Amino acid sequence: MDTKMRKYVGNTPCFTGHFPVNVILMLRSSIIFCLLITAALVTAEDSIVPVIQKNCVQCHGKDGKVKGKVNLLEIKDVAALSADPELLQKLVEAIDFEEMPPEDEPQLAPDERAKLLAELEALLHKSVAGKNAYSQAPIRRMNRFQYNNAVIDLFDLKCIVFTLPERMMRDHKNYFKPESGKMADSVTVGSRPLGKSQMIESRLAGVAAFPQDLRAEHGFDNQADHLSLSPLLMESFLKLGQSITQSKDFGSKNVGIWKTFFLAPNPEADVKKDVRVRLKGLLTKAFRRPVKDEVLDRYTSFVHQQLDSGVEYSTAMKSVAAAAISSPKFIYLYDRTGTAGAAEPLDDFELASRLSFFLWGSLPDEILLDLADAGKLRNPGVMEEQITRMMNDQKLKRFCDSFPAQWLQLERIISSVPNREAYPNFYYSKYRDSMHMMLEPLLLFETVLIENQSLTQLIDSDFTYRSVLLEDAYGDLKSEHKPDGAKQKGGGVGPLKFDRIPVTDRRNGGVITNAAVMTMTSGPDRTQPITRGAWIAGVIFNNPPEPPPADVPALGEKPSEGEEHLTLRERLSMHRERSDCKGCHEQIDPLGFALENYDAIGNWRTKYENERDVDMEGTLFRKHEFANVIEFKDAILAEKDRFTRGFAGHLLSFSLARELGPADQIALDAIATATAADEYKIQTLIKQVILSEPFQTKTNPKSAEAVAANR
Amino acid sequence: MKSTSRRSFLRGIGGTALALPCLESVSSAATAKQAAQRMAHFYVPIGVVRRGFFPGEADQIIPKGNLGNVMKSLGNQDPTFSVKPLDKLTPTMEPLAEFKDKVTLITGMDRTFQVGTDVHAQCASCYLSSAEPYTIKGTAWPLDRTLDHIVADKIGGSTPFRTLEFSCNSHKDNKESIYFDNISWYGTGHLAPSIRDPRKMYQRLFSTQEIDRYRDITDLVLEDANSMKRELGYNDSQKFAEYFESIRTIETQMDKLEKMKAELSLVTFEEPTEAYLPRGEYIRLMGDLMVVALQAGLTNVATFMVGPERWDTPYKFEGLFDKPKSHHQMSHNQTKMIDDLLKVDRFHMEQYVYLLNRMNGIVETDGTTLLDNTIFTYGSGLGDGSTHQYNDLPIIVSGGSKHIRGGQHINMPEGTPLANLWLTQSKIFGVGQERFADSTGMVKSLLA
Repeated sequence: MDTKMRKYVGNTPCFTGHFPVNVILMLRSSIIFCLLITAALVTAEDSIVPVIQKNCVQCHGKDGKVKGKVNLLEIKDVAALSADPELLQKLVEAIDFEEMPPEDEPQLAPDERAKLLAELEALLHKSVAGKNAYSQAPIRRMNRFQYNNAVIDLFDLKCIVFTLPERMMRDHKNYFKPESGKMADSVTVGSRPLGKSQMIESRLAGVAAFPQDLRAEHGFDNQADHLSLSPLLMESFLKLGQSITQSKDFGSKNVGIWKTFFLAPNPEADVKKDVRVRLKGLLTKAFRRPVKDEVLDRYTSFVHQQLDSGVEYSTAMKSVAAAAISSPKFIYLYDRTGTAGAAEPLDDFELASRLSFFLWGSLPDEILLDLADAGKLRNPGVMEEQITRMMNDQKLKRFCDSFPAQWLQLERIISSVPNREAYPNFYYSKYRDSMHMMLEPLLLFETVLIENQSLTQLIDSDFTYRSVLLEDAYGDLKSEHKPDGAKQKGGGVGPLKFDRIPVTDRRNGGVITNAAVMTMTSGPDRTQPITRGAWIAGVIFNNPPEPPPADVPALGEKPSEGEEHLTLRERLSMHRERSDCKGCHEQIDPLGFALENYDAIGNWRTKYENERDVDMEGTLFRKHEFANVIEFKDAILAEKDRFTRGFAGHLLSFSLARELGPADQIALDAIATATAADEYKIQTLIKQVILSEPFQTKTNPKSAEAVAANR
Repeated sequence: MKSTSRRSFLRGIGGTALALPCLESVSSAATAKQAAQRMAHFYVPIGVVRRGFFPGEADQIIPKGNLGNVMKSLGNQDPTFSVKPLDKLTPTMEPLAEFKDKVTLITGMDRTFQVGTDVHAQCASCYLSSAEPYTIKGTAWPLDRTLDHIVADKIGGSTPFRTLEFSCNSHKDNKESIYFDNISWYGTGHLAPSIRDPRKMYQRLFSTQEIDRYRDITDLVLEDANSMKRELGYNDSQKFAEYFESIRTIETQMDKLEKMKAELSLVTFEEPTEAYLPRGEYIRLMGDLMVVALQAGLTNVATFMVGPERWDTPYKFEGLFDKPKSHHQMSHNQTKMIDDLLKVDRFHMEQYVYLLNRMNGIVETDGTTLLDNTIFTYGSGLGDGSTHQYNDLPIIVSGGSKHIRGGQHINMPEGTPLANLWLTQSKIFGVGQERFADSTGMVKSLLA
């Protein structure tokens, strides 16, 4: 292997954390809908193709040049474009984010750009509306987080089933009180993956979890296409079911329904008849819909056979309970097949499940099931009331244990290992500061959610939560807050006390500039502005860049000979002379360089090691200039509608367990608009996600033909 | 509950080593004429007292208190490579006397600690994987698929159980996490859970009733699956096929056990009771179960923890001390408790020797012994419980006479990864890979 080749090996690519192109299209809805209903539209649409042919095909199609794998030469007329909503979506995005044409190519005049965008958006809506179908999350098993929650709820357990390292933050003293609408000023939490003995908690002895479900590369760990079932996994589900009900801790003390389900009834009663009644309740809850008689008969006769052969009552009931949680009707999440190929409303039970798996990561409770049974759940008043009730329930913690960490890709902090020699203070005892760091953005998110604050707090918050050690880790960015009881020392590894502190220095606050994100988007020796830029593009604006071509070497951690005097930006610009890299990098680089004042462990710096000043100035979306990080935050805030829509996309994708497609864009516009109208409140956004059409419907045809028709 | 499969006769509890009858038809090896080759690992938690275990260290410094941040030897080990006959045995190794020609002591093997997670948890859970630090993405541990599963991919396919995991952890509390009493992992974050309860292990191995109940349940859920099919859309019903595929595979597995049912009924092993057993008897009972599983062809690969890592809760070491003691706390008080700690080390060695004895007493169809056909490795993830060092680990390889040369003391050159031994063992069992985790080569002197 020659040296040039070797350079590619073992280096991280220049960006990480790509999402697929999830669309962002901010809709000036009224204008477009007006356009839509006028006959003039036809001619308006007709102007799209000429504009594209004039401005785009030089790089995208002509003379064999197909940059970004987008070939527009083939688009001869509007009909061809209309037939390809994915392509339309890409075009809208490229124009809207001012990604194209590249900076050094002839530009579109502003009014020309605006007109083209409006026309493209209109065409996209029309193209999508004609189909009247959403993509549908396929049948999928619960991930282990959901399984754990569902088993707890089914049996009303007083302990957890198994330990889940993916629940990053541990609540030590029950600070989480959504019903109060207020987050405590001081909380005791623990870092599960990195803290000492953070896995220990009251659980069922002898029960081992099945493997962790990893976050889909482009989304969340509940994404349907990742949740398949292998024989090994199937066996572990069967064993798991048995080991749960046979655990020595599975008894009256830990099992809330022990008396009503597992304990033998009064001998006077008709034991066998009673079994059927008990099973009806359990199976309804486990399977999330009324059980058919034939199913009930099967389960009942299973117990009867056991009892007849002399098996003791509780043992027989444990066996049947194990069967229930091994049943595909329990393990699998799915919507029943629809009657047609078009979108149609979920039935009430499916709706109840969608709600509860979204907000509680678990089964619907009896209230939801009863409302579904009575056909009342889709009554608008009832629905609103239920959403509010669910958001005030303790079980909302499960949403906080799954969504925010995945949205922020926080698991990346676990494998962040800054160079010990360069950053000795990052390490203490045998631990890392990242143990404390990772909790800060999570506490911020929970507070914004519980207190129903504006989404803008996630960008630029006026408070944060920090431990003493974390404050010290921040160096110059340390707040002026003095924790009460000055005796409190840093260095904790078990339960950690975090205090709410006001943020007066706007270099602090929000989910972007915190030490966790700054550290995890850096390499061991230096910051990685492109990684940071890609993170912002994906996480904050939900507009992730395409992965870099495979044949591009990464920039070395240390400057090569003769480059020691350069700033990182200068080194990078030398590094990417290839013109086909420019398109993307013009978009993401400014986002990452904006954060160059934060070093590889999130500390403030104004100079590089070679004494050159940090160069972070730039322009967001070719619109908002910034010269320091506070102005950068202001620039993002000026684009808060884009952020809101991007965040809505993340949430909708999480709630539906699938990637979003062109058809979902109309709903995102509506969600973002309604949220903006209510001061960007996060609970409003969640409510709007639930009320949106993609959430309330399914498109699940029975026949292959109907499936093909929707493609 | 009456077990239909209760077996009742000889079991050599507490040292009355009763050889199990030669079960020609039972051993899966019988069909292959040659005896099956097996692998077993005996894990000792919390390191050993170096003065007692390592040749030439008898007079070295006794660590004072908890030297948790030292993480290296206080004394000097010979950094150069050497192979000598296993000569005079150190006090801790003395119980091995009668097996001197069948065991090889390996010193000078190291592992690398990955900063960021607990030292005890990592030394047990990553012992058999030894991944290079920070190479396993998205996890805080250098924890990968462990040696036993990699080897089982080669030699575990024909037995009902690919591997079996034993942990002699009699603690009732959940004081420590899963990383402390498990050394066997299918992969990162995917535990192959150890069984601590001899009754549970017995039922897993022999109780056909368990199989029946399993089958009852699969029948029940299979019916559910059939009725579900009708409710699914086109795409979903395509995907749902994976479910039926999975169930079918499991049923084949159960069939394997079912087929052995008649043969297994020849095995004579009394079902363990719930009664409390003194520590030594408990360990030996677990050991007997492991030996019978290896003998009867229930598995070819087993891991055995003689105690859990850390776990500060004291328990009784009957016959050693009057009061319950915590192995971990003793290890941090060597200046005061070195004699007691040496007793614990020797006690663990005696349990190992007990198992060597059992295996050596079992004659297989081709006239060799079970020990001849089992590579049985003693080892700890720490070189000393006070310094918490990951280097100069105590390792003894026994048995497997077809492959292993006994009667030696091999001192590996400084910085030799423990993974070199795992690479050597995996190669013996036909695993094709050229590297194992952070390995740099083989331990060639070990090979016969």
